[in-house]
Amino acid sequence: MRNHLLTLATVGLVTLGLYLLTQMDGTSGLLSALRLIFIWGIAAISLNLINGQLGILSLGHHGFMLVGGYVTALLMLPEKERRPFRTRLLSDWARDNLDLDKWLRGLGLDFIANSIDLKFIIALFIAGLAAALLGVLVGAPSLRLKGDYLAIVTFGFGEIIRLLPNAPEVAAFTNGPLGIKGIPGDAGTIWWTFFAFLFVLWFFTRLKFSSYGRAFEGIREDEIAAEAMGVNLAYHKVLAFTISAFFAGVAGGLYASYLQSVDTQTFNFFVTFFLLVAISLGGLGSITGAVIGTAVVVLVRNYGGFLEQPYPAWVGYLSGALLMLGAFAFSAYIRKTRRLRPVIETKHYIFGAIGLALLLVTVFFRNEPWMTQTVQFFGMRKILLAVILILIMIYRREGVMGRAEFSWKLIFGPREDIPSEEQRKQDAWLSNPELNPGASETKEDDDASA
Amino acid sequence: MTASKLASRSTLFSLFAGLLFVALLGWRIASMPDYTFARIVQDFLNALTLGSLYALIALGYTMVYGIIRLINFAHGEIFMLGSYFAFYAMTLTPMHWGLALLTTVLLGGTVLLVLRSLFNLEEPKRTFLLALLIFGGTFFLLAFRHLGWIEALLLSMLATGVAGVLLEAVAYRPLRGAPRESMLITAIAASFFLQNMGQLLFGPRVRGFNAETVLNQPRSFAIGEETVYFTGILIVVPAVTAVLLFVLNLFVTRTRLGKAMRATAQDAEVAQMMGVNVNQVIALTFFIGSILAAAAGVMYSIRFGQIHPLMGLMPGIKAFTAAVIGGIGSLPGAVLGGLLLGFIEIYVVSFFPTLSAYKDVFAFVLLILILLFRPSGLVGEDLTEKV
Repeated sequence: MRNHLLTLATVGLVTLGLYLLTQMDGTSGLLSALRLIFIWGIAAISLNLINGQLGILSLGHHGFMLVGGYVTALLMLPEKERRPFRTRLLSDWARDNLDLDKWLRGLGLDFIANSIDLKFIIALFIAGLAAALLGVLVGAPSLRLKGDYLAIVTFGFGEIIRLLPNAPEVAAFTNGPLGIKGIPGDAGTIWWTFFAFLFVLWFFTRLKFSSYGRAFEGIREDEIAAEAMGVNLAYHKVLAFTISAFFAGVAGGLYASYLQSVDTQTFNFFVTFFLLVAISLGGLGSITGAVIGTAVVVLVRNYGGFLEQPYPAWVGYLSGALLMLGAFAFSAYIRKTRRLRPVIETKHYIFGAIGLALLLVTVFFRNEPWMTQTVQFFGMRKILLAVILILIMIYRREGVMGRAEFSWKLIFGPREDIPSEEQRKQDAWLSNPELNPGASETKEDDDASA
Repeated sequence: MTASKLASRSTLFSLFAGLLFVALLGWRIASMPDYTFARIVQDFLNALTLGSLYALIALGYTMVYGIIRLINFAHGEIFMLGSYFAFYAMTLTPMHWGLALLTTVLLGGTVLLVLRSLFNLEEPKRTFLLALLIFGGTFFLLAFRHLGWIEALLLSMLATGVAGVLLEAVAYRPLRGAPRESMLITAIAASFFLQNMGQLLFGPRVRGFNAETVLNQPRSFAIGEETVYFTGILIVVPAVTAVLLFVLNLFVTRTRLGKAMRATAQDAEVAQMMGVNVNQVIALTFFIGSILAAAAGVMYSIRFGQIHPLMGLMPGIKAFTAAVIGGIGSLPGAVLGGLLLGFIEIYVVSFFPTLSAYKDVFAFVLLILILLFRPSGLVGEDLTEKV
């Protein structure tokens, strides 16, 4: 009860904070970062269901998001944005008939059609359904495979879905490489993404601690054992895939309406990679972790722009030198703390030497024209994300959170990692054969039966 | 399932696929009056070239998968690196002697270190000779004259091989024994890293790869009244591929290291117990795979005349598909799969021009179908996970 109240209070406070933010000036950058965190958070949580909880590596998430984005775009596109398509690739039929507004008015539901918000809910729902349908179609055959073969098959499906909108036959619906522009939707407010995000958090938390969630985790730990306990493998796998695809579609729709445009480059494989970094960083299998990871990744993406600003070239040389020297010092530090000898390995001198050389070059040639010219490090943020992912995989495969979730107990509850006085007494009693003559007998019994 | 039964099934399968292909071909040729013999020959040359390139790249995938069960996503980027190394070898030479000296020390030093660790060159005399050869050779190549495509190819192969070994040492070796999913994620991250590093270092724009050789001069010969147009590269690629395959085959079957490699592929643990240095063998595998990818990259660039940092993506995927078609882990399978994919791609587009927009989709569809229905490929062993 207390925990529920705390949760409600937190949600209320966050909502209030967001409201105040929207009322303040100069927070549009922060607000759009928050919107992105919510959108990508939905996608990351849904990917986390497959990759973390079910323990299956799926690399086709961008395909599901793309379907959601395109469906939302087509359904929500207003009349005046549809007209220019006459000269383009979108077919007349798709232009005239794939229109949620028309459908709703046809059904006599004008009051829904007049409200863009209600329409957007329905469009998102349909987008989710379309993606979920695709999820079943992709999942049902490919889930027969395991391990990296499955990963490659999902990757292949994702790439096929990404490549199809450019093909001439499909372009009748997708407008080809030009994409669809002028999508209305959440009308630029943060509330859409926020409440969708809250719903997703609630839904996936409930799911994780339901019988389904436990079945998923059972499959992750040991498929055969799970099957022996009565878990229907195929059903649960396809179910998880479908749920995940549904919310990926929703996230795709939200993202399309955030960008107000969608084309084939919006949802490329980088999207899945981005989500993969997020959930690996947070900890595969943890919803809290997915949110934390997404926040970090979005912040790198939105506020890492300074990495790609034009700088004089010496900044690049200097940072390269510092990076090399830093790696040299760090490896020495690690080896020293682990008491490995020699403290500096022979091959690590290479880093030191390169770093020193770069430093000397920077100092001695600082006035040369090639040193003062302006350069720009395009793609530095992606490189940073890739390096983060490799480092996580090498040094901390469980991520920040492992599989743990945030809970109020963690903050307010009694500490469970330190045994209480009573537990300590009990342990002492159990492990002392003089106080507990039964303990040794049962042990022998165990040995005999084994 | 017994081995003989498996073999008969795979033979039947290939036979069936081949027959289907031939039947399709015949039907299509019969229904296309303008499809003359000359065009068949022309397509054949194109397909053989493309297939050879795919085969060379696919060998890298299949060798690495055979040994550490890792789908090396970054292999396409290694291919890209090979092209760029050759590009710079051809455009930056002849270098200023100071720059050449610096490059020689850096490149030659790394190459020497890597080669020493790969081929057990503990003997000082041999190492000294090798060092002399590498340093002298590199300096001589870089400093004095403009490099032709053959020198650039050799230099790029060496440099790319070393890059592959470094990639393995930095990204994959610390993950030895980790879950395969983690290794796959790392490989994807390495691929993204190399792509973006390529964009950063080499520039994101498309560059012309002008080999300035006889290879790109258009030639022709006549068949009856028709003329077949081709360039030298269409002959050179299959020839170079054949030579490389021959050398690779000799290496794998006739040398101690090749034996160690096969042993590691069969069972790494047991091989280690028998005294095989598994880390060395894995590094060597990456070295050889990267060498072949570099050769493919240079020839691909000469063939298509342009390079850019994302060029490794599609050939990488298609070569992986080729490896899967042939049966991942099997060397002849990779070559067979590469050639088959090259022929399928060229002839499908040639016979059904309306499908050319789906060319890339087609590779993925084939990949999925093979993985779903015949994961062991045409000649490969059954590699599905066992309990």
